[in-house]
Amino acid sequence: MATASAPTAGIPVGPGLSMFDPIFIGIDEFGQHVYITLAYRNLLAGGEPGGGKSGLLNTIAAHAALSVDSRLVLLDGKLVELGQWEDCADAFIGPDITAALDVLRRLQTVMNNRYAWLRAHGRRKVTALDGLSVITVLVDEIAFYSATIGSKQEQEEFVALLRDLVARGRAAGIPVIAATQRPSFDIIPTSLRDLFGYRAAFRCTTPNSSNIVLGHGWAEQGYTATDIAPTNQGAAYLIAEGGTPRRIKVAYLDDAQIAGIADYATWTRRPTRLSAPTGTRVDWETAA
Amino acid sequence: MSKSSPRRSFGRKSIGTVTVIEAKVHRSSARNARMAFILTAVIIGVLAAVVAAAYVHPIIALFIGAAVSVPCGALAWLLVRIWPVLRLLWWWTPEIVLAVLLLTGWVQLATHTSTLVTLAVVAVVLGVPAAVPALRRQVVAWVWCLIVRHRLRVCFAQFIIANQSGSLPLILWATPTPVGERVWVYLRPGLSLADLEGRLDKIAVTCHASSVLVERASDGNAAYLRFDIKRREVLTATVTSPLADVIDPDAPATDRPTPVIPTALDLPDVQAPTITLPVQPKKQTATSANGSKPAPAPSSDADDLSDWL
Repeated sequence: MATASAPTAGIPVGPGLSMFDPIFIGIDEFGQHVYITLAYRNLLAGGEPGGGKSGLLNTIAAHAALSVDSRLVLLDGKLVELGQWEDCADAFIGPDITAALDVLRRLQTVMNNRYAWLRAHGRRKVTALDGLSVITVLVDEIAFYSATIGSKQEQEEFVALLRDLVARGRAAGIPVIAATQRPSFDIIPTSLRDLFGYRAAFRCTTPNSSNIVLGHGWAEQGYTATDIAPTNQGAAYLIAEGGTPRRIKVAYLDDAQIAGIADYATWTRRPTRLSAPTGTRVDWETAA
Repeated sequence: MSKSSPRRSFGRKSIGTVTVIEAKVHRSSARNARMAFILTAVIIGVLAAVVAAAYVHPIIALFIGAAVSVPCGALAWLLVRIWPVLRLLWWWTPEIVLAVLLLTGWVQLATHTSTLVTLAVVAVVLGVPAAVPALRRQVVAWVWCLIVRHRLRVCFAQFIIANQSGSLPLILWATPTPVGERVWVYLRPGLSLADLEGRLDKIAVTCHASSVLVERASDGNAAYLRFDIKRREVLTATVTSPLADVIDPDAPATDRPTPVIPTALDLPDVQAPTITLPVQPKKQTATSANGSKPAPAPSSDADDLSDWL
């Protein structure tokens, strides 16, 4: 994080990606590439442990980290799933619900400010031409914050804040990508779960679990994540633009690739963060 | 009223028990040909007579019409009679053209070059695709495209009977995909996407495939479908992200301050009366393979049902 280690040769050049671009997340069952646009969408990933959820999150995080108009807010109860992105993220929250609540409140303020800004301009949603950054909120293990850690009151506040982000953040350019193993009502309120437009169901053990992730009734139509082989990590059913679930295989980045991308993203991002004191998280409310 | 009510009840009864016996009438080719002859002869004859009447006497025009109509009708009769053969030839057109080209090429080669040169050319033409895996796979994929169109036609002819006249859907273009083939089909009256979705397993068997998927190829036309014949599974492959290639490998590694390395990584190291929140155990077990939490425990069906309440 120290600025002293800034590169002496070469000017960092970003790859020119944008969060408004379609994001490559893998291949479908016909071998075709699958892209989803997340700038105005929220994604919920579910499935049993070791199914490949973090692979999906990391693929999205890699795109967001390399995008010029993006900021990353990472909440990871396990620390290691998204931990490698810490240096290019604007906020990285470990197993600390107080910090999680703080960052969600800040995001809420940003969202309110952006809506006020949009209203002042007579507009309805943020576009790529506005120059505003898309603040991608990645939450691994929602259940950890909403049902495990902290007091009941804190958990409820976490759910309420997250629901507000999911409900209203779309047009303000604050997409939420959340993962949990089984988003049943005792982990996440149904009112929050049903707000996620895009769903990715990794391997589930029962058709009911698959239905909880994908939505009621899909298992009865033959779209059940129980038919994914346990050994086939990263295979999932995805509901995105098409509206019906389709089988996909999520792209996988190994630790070295993630480290390389994270280093590169940190390198390209540092100039934009020079105004802020390094060593602490950048306060992006001013930027927003 | 008294008169109408029995009539109504009679009518209702007849509607309720009406049985339409629709015998599967496959009109014979001979009858079709006769109808084609008569229709063509009459229409052509009348048209020819009307046109001729403008130039000659009407009675002579009638004779001219008759003279023109008989050969035309005969032509139509012939076409209808040999239509099954023509259809068969049309279905096998790619194979016939290929065979003719290959045979012609072989004959020309054999007559114009010496035996050694002929054999050398044949060895190169056959050997290179057989030896280069990428070429071989491409050739095999194209061959499967040819085969699968016939197999789909067999499906429609043998167990997906569309209508009384037994007309077959138009099997259009086929193209290789990484998992098999993709074939576009234009349905004839009597079939729909839903009809086919119930028979995909049988279609897969007929096409010697693992599974078959069908979906609409056009939003505006329900008859235009797309079959995806799957022979291989690609979802078991490892997919890498292209983002790993766009980065500059010379990017300097970020200087990360060495974090505080947690201690107490084993069970005896942690005292029992630890009252802190699960923060501390979480950090300690971070290096273990299992980072899962007990929260989403498997639950019974009754619990699952209540998810929807």
